[in-house]
Amino acid sequence: MNTSLRSSFVFAAALGVSALSLQAAPRAFDFKDPKGVNNVQFKLDAPLESITGTATGISGTVSFDAAKPEATTGRIVLDAATLTVGNAMMGEHLRSNQWLDVAQFPSIVFEAVALKNVRNQAGQIQADVTGRLTVKGITKDVTAPVTLTYLADKLGARVGDAKVKGDLLVLRTNFQINRSDFGIKAGEMTDKVAESISLSLSIAGASPRS
Amino acid sequence: MKTNTSFSRGLRVAAIAVLLGGVGVWAASGARVGWTQTSAVTMQRDEITGIDFPVRHATFDPGIEVPLIGAAFAAVLAGVSFIPRRAPQAA
Repeated sequence: MNTSLRSSFVFAAALGVSALSLQAAPRAFDFKDPKGVNNVQFKLDAPLESITGTATGISGTVSFDAAKPEATTGRIVLDAATLTVGNAMMGEHLRSNQWLDVAQFPSIVFEAVALKNVRNQAGQIQADVTGRLTVKGITKDVTAPVTLTYLADKLGARVGDAKVKGDLLVLRTNFQINRSDFGIKAGEMTDKVAESISLSLSIAGASPRS
Repeated sequence: MKTNTSFSRGLRVAAIAVLLGGVGVWAASGARVGWTQTSAVTMQRDEITGIDFPVRHATFDPGIEVPLIGAAFAAVLAGVSFIPRRAPQAA
């Protein structure tokens, strides 16, 4: 009887520990968004007006643990062919081999390697993400402020099907890069297009649960 | 001689029409100082995630190149009107 009781206790404890470890385990969030909401907006100053554009071809995976956000890592990929500006001819120039050379370098990649200065503010996690940004085949280290919003059990609501279980992770960041750092007309046309490019990223990833 | 004069006058009238047309179209559409836009973005918000996302739609918003191209074309027409021409000789 004693042995049986002890076995039951050990089994229950093991179950509890494994449940806890499952709960605390990092989850993979897929940022391929079927709703087309994930987007990058960019802006460059120019003499006549600012050049603004958008891109929506985003994919990638982020590993996130709500109990340990500082361990967040991941890789976000932008399909450079989806970069669009309001002027069609300007868009063609942007994607041509003169500027981004999308045919040869079809992806812009950010690989997050560390989250520092993590703080929790009003249900949102704010931090500085450090990673490697690859544009036009050139990789540079980048640190940017990021806001992470963990939306537990919201996947069903997002896809409009209550039977679908899972969580969402929303990432937002704004930062600037210099085009010359990535070989984009380095040192050229600085009187026509600014050196600095402002980037704004708003993306949501989903992690289904069975 | 009469033919030459009316041809030149026609070219000048056309030049003024092109110039006014270019400036008029540009002014009527808001006199944008930037380049012509062939698509525009309206922002929408995803209710669940709170993400503001762009929805792009086709449009035609004439920019500064419209009156400039009109002025250049008008200048060419006006210039051609001043080239001296020989009147057709009577048979």
